[in-house]
Amino acid sequence: MANGWSIIIGLVVIVLACAAGWFLAPKGETQTIWRSSLILSFASCYIMWAITFLAQWHPLIVPRRSGLRTGAAHEN
Amino acid sequence: MAPTQDTMFRSADMSMVQLYVAREIGREIVNALGELGQIQFRDVYPSFTEARGISADDCGSSTRTLLLFSERLLRRYEDLIMLRGNSMEKAGIPLRKIDFDVDTLAAPSTSEIDELSDRSQSLEERIARLNDSYETLKKREVELTEWRWVLREAGGFFDRAYGNVEDIRASSDNDDAPLLQDVEQHAQGQNGDAERSLTGMNIEFVAGVIPRDRTAAFERILWRTLRGNLYMNQSEIPEPLVDPTNNESINKNVFVIFAHGKELIAKIRKISESLGADLYGVDENLNLRREQIVEVNNRLGDLGSVLQNTKTTLDAELTQIAQSLAAWMVIVKKEKAVYQTLNLFSYDQARKTLIAEAWCPSNSLPLIKSTLHDVNNRAGLSVPSIINEIRTNKTPPTYQKTNRFTEGFQTIINAYGTAKYQEVNPGLPTIVTFPFLFAVMFGDLGHGFLMVCAAAAMIYWEKPLKKVRDELFTMAFYGRYIMLMMGIFSMYTGFIYNDVFSKSLSIFPSAWEWDIPDGWKEGDVLLGKLKGDYRYPIGLDWMWHDTENDLLFSNSFKMKLSILMGWVHMTYSLCLSYINARHFKTPIDIWGVFIPGMIFFQSIFGYLVFAIVYKWCVDWYAIGESPPGLLNMLIYMFLSPGTVEEPLYRGQGPIQVFLVLLAVIQVPILLFLKPFYLRWEHNRARAQGYRGIGETSRVSALDTDDDDSNTLDGRASLASESEGVAMITQDLGGEEEHEEFEFSEVMIHQVIHTIASYLRLWALSLAHQQLSVVLWSMTMAIGLGTTGPLGVFMLVVVFFAWFFLTIAVLVVMEGTSAMLHSLRLHWVEAMSKHFMGDGIPFEPFSFKTMLEEDEAAADIS
Repeated sequence: MANGWSIIIGLVVIVLACAAGWFLAPKGETQTIWRSSLILSFASCYIMWAITFLAQWHPLIVPRRSGLRTGAAHEN
Repeated sequence: MAPTQDTMFRSADMSMVQLYVAREIGREIVNALGELGQIQFRDVYPSFTEARGISADDCGSSTRTLLLFSERLLRRYEDLIMLRGNSMEKAGIPLRKIDFDVDTLAAPSTSEIDELSDRSQSLEERIARLNDSYETLKKREVELTEWRWVLREAGGFFDRAYGNVEDIRASSDNDDAPLLQDVEQHAQGQNGDAERSLTGMNIEFVAGVIPRDRTAAFERILWRTLRGNLYMNQSEIPEPLVDPTNNESINKNVFVIFAHGKELIAKIRKISESLGADLYGVDENLNLRREQIVEVNNRLGDLGSVLQNTKTTLDAELTQIAQSLAAWMVIVKKEKAVYQTLNLFSYDQARKTLIAEAWCPSNSLPLIKSTLHDVNNRAGLSVPSIINEIRTNKTPPTYQKTNRFTEGFQTIINAYGTAKYQEVNPGLPTIVTFPFLFAVMFGDLGHGFLMVCAAAAMIYWEKPLKKVRDELFTMAFYGRYIMLMMGIFSMYTGFIYNDVFSKSLSIFPSAWEWDIPDGWKEGDVLLGKLKGDYRYPIGLDWMWHDTENDLLFSNSFKMKLSILMGWVHMTYSLCLSYINARHFKTPIDIWGVFIPGMIFFQSIFGYLVFAIVYKWCVDWYAIGESPPGLLNMLIYMFLSPGTVEEPLYRGQGPIQVFLVLLAVIQVPILLFLKPFYLRWEHNRARAQGYRGIGETSRVSALDTDDDDSNTLDGRASLASESEGVAMITQDLGGEEEHEEFEFSEVMIHQVIHTIASYLRLWALSLAHQQLSVVLWSMTMAIGLGTTGPLGVFMLVVVFFAWFFLTIAVLVVMEGTSAMLHSLRLHWVEAMSKHFMGDGIPFEPFSFKTMLEEDEAAADIS
């Protein structure tokens, strides 16, 4: 379900969210603050998520673990 | 002027205005504007300090003196109330404080001020009188009490003295009296008639009270001066006596000194008085003494009731004053501020108008106009008050309007410097970037949640908590919205890091499964294996938790994360400098600073970011190649351009050479283009003959703020023009060198430090995570490991230890450190890309801020 296309899909979602933030920001004195804060928040959160996702996309190392009980090792 | 909405993006549009106000209503106008708090008056006579104040003298010298007088009086009341503090508190007289949120005191009229001043004067007289009589009475009471003690104690002394008559006599007389007489006298004395024996023998005495700490000195001096010819008795008064003048209690001793001869007695009296003893008359006769005691007791009783009456009246009076004192102080402070402001005005004798210059936000002009109009109407004056917008070449002050939410963030920026008028205000993006960079370092869902709770509580109980006057708390309270944002973003980053108090969440199925070889038994090492195309959707896979190599993985992940974040943040900040250049219409800043800076930055760090992301996107095992080390790649890119040992992609060598060349070319452009352009522009202007007016006006603008001086002494300035111009060119040359030097330093600084500086994100977030793991394993893990009843007990103890340490160390301490690092990234790395910060802050004349500042200052002192 989550594979390489997620990055693109996530980007589209975030761009839509930013657009919504731009147009739906409450009118009045605080409009600029709303717009800037919402869009920056969405963008930062997306970047953070995307970096984490990309870092695990093609992992170069695999988890190593000892001391697992038999039951736990067979989960998932 | 087109009314554009003032936003936080840049300073509000400011207008220089000139006010023409009729002299009669000057005070009312300033009062109304002070309530409005939207206008900053400029000093019309900046260079005069002494010969000024036409307006104030003219307007209300009598009011002013009264005002200062009444202010002094009010201060005295405060002192008085403080002095009486001890008794007042017992009597329950609190000094009422004004709550500025609730009470807005209307501007008082002149007659009200006069009335207040009269009233305070008469009150002061009354209070002073009452206070004086109270003190006198109190003194009298103390005297009587002392006397009573002396009388009471003296009885005992006398009894003892009779027993020692012999000694007294022996020490003071020649021993030539017949023995028999002595015996007779003794017998008589025991009959109760012995008093006479003392006088009969010419032995007299002095009785009195002396502070206890002086008795030793007193005794010594007496002994030395009288050469031992005295008999002294002392006893301590068990209760301390209160000195009415300064409310201090002193322990005192009663003493009775017997001595022989009038001269000695006189000496003793002198000595005791000089040492601060109070002497009291005591009769030798027992019966008389009893009568004295009765009398003293009666007088004490009378005095007590009078004293009580006086005290009640005084307290009642003070209570009344305490009730309204705070309000009066506010009125007086406002009045003082109004006259100080009026002092900045100039006065036109001929037209009887006051003229003021002021800055105000252009959008507030209509409001100010209507206020002036209202005041004028109320005063019923036919002469209108006029407000004129004037054009000026002076730099307006920077006014960034804030609200409760943005105030804290703007303060972060203002602590570094005031933005230049109309430049991009970094406070706006800081609302998100500051807490977000903090959260990258602080990321933990649990710790973030605790922070959100604390911030939410402070926001919910905003009103009552506002009054708390604790320095540390006030700071945290001031930043409550920053804390809220930091907490929210920390929860998000904590979710991405998959850290909740160092544990992980397993919301989604993992992308890994354990690859269990045949013959595996518990305790052997297991390796993970990808399930297929599926990847963990949000955040770090929880399968990494508790593995042997999870630090290896998160280390590489967080380092790259911090580089990418740093690149994004700096690119964003650099773009703001483009917006600034566009706004100020200085294309040289685009061509000479923004574009070469951007190319330089992107060809090195942008390329690094590209390499990081590209390396992530390639499935190296699938294509059967070994992944290249990016650090080596970057190093060899500069050391030996063109050769690539571990290729990342095809054609990498030439591209890297091109990028390095591109970056190197930008360096001289960055260093020289702008200074040379400025010099060329300057020379061209001079060659075309634009030299006099513009430059001299600039000089005079520096010297004095007066607009008219240019036109008035134009001839004089022409004469000295060549000198002025020469000076300017010299200055410009000097500045240029200076700038070159600084610029190269800034460049080196940028190359070496910028991205490296963002590695603090990596270091701090790793440290935070490891610290919380250690804390868990040292407390909760032990508690959970113990079983049985002991386990229950242990768990409770250990939980509280863990919770307390989590709050104290992980949230408060680590939070503070992460905050400071985030602050540095903003001030140094981001704001250096675009922030000019040479603005003047807008400080409007506002009663509200003035009173709040006063209150804060009073609280600190």
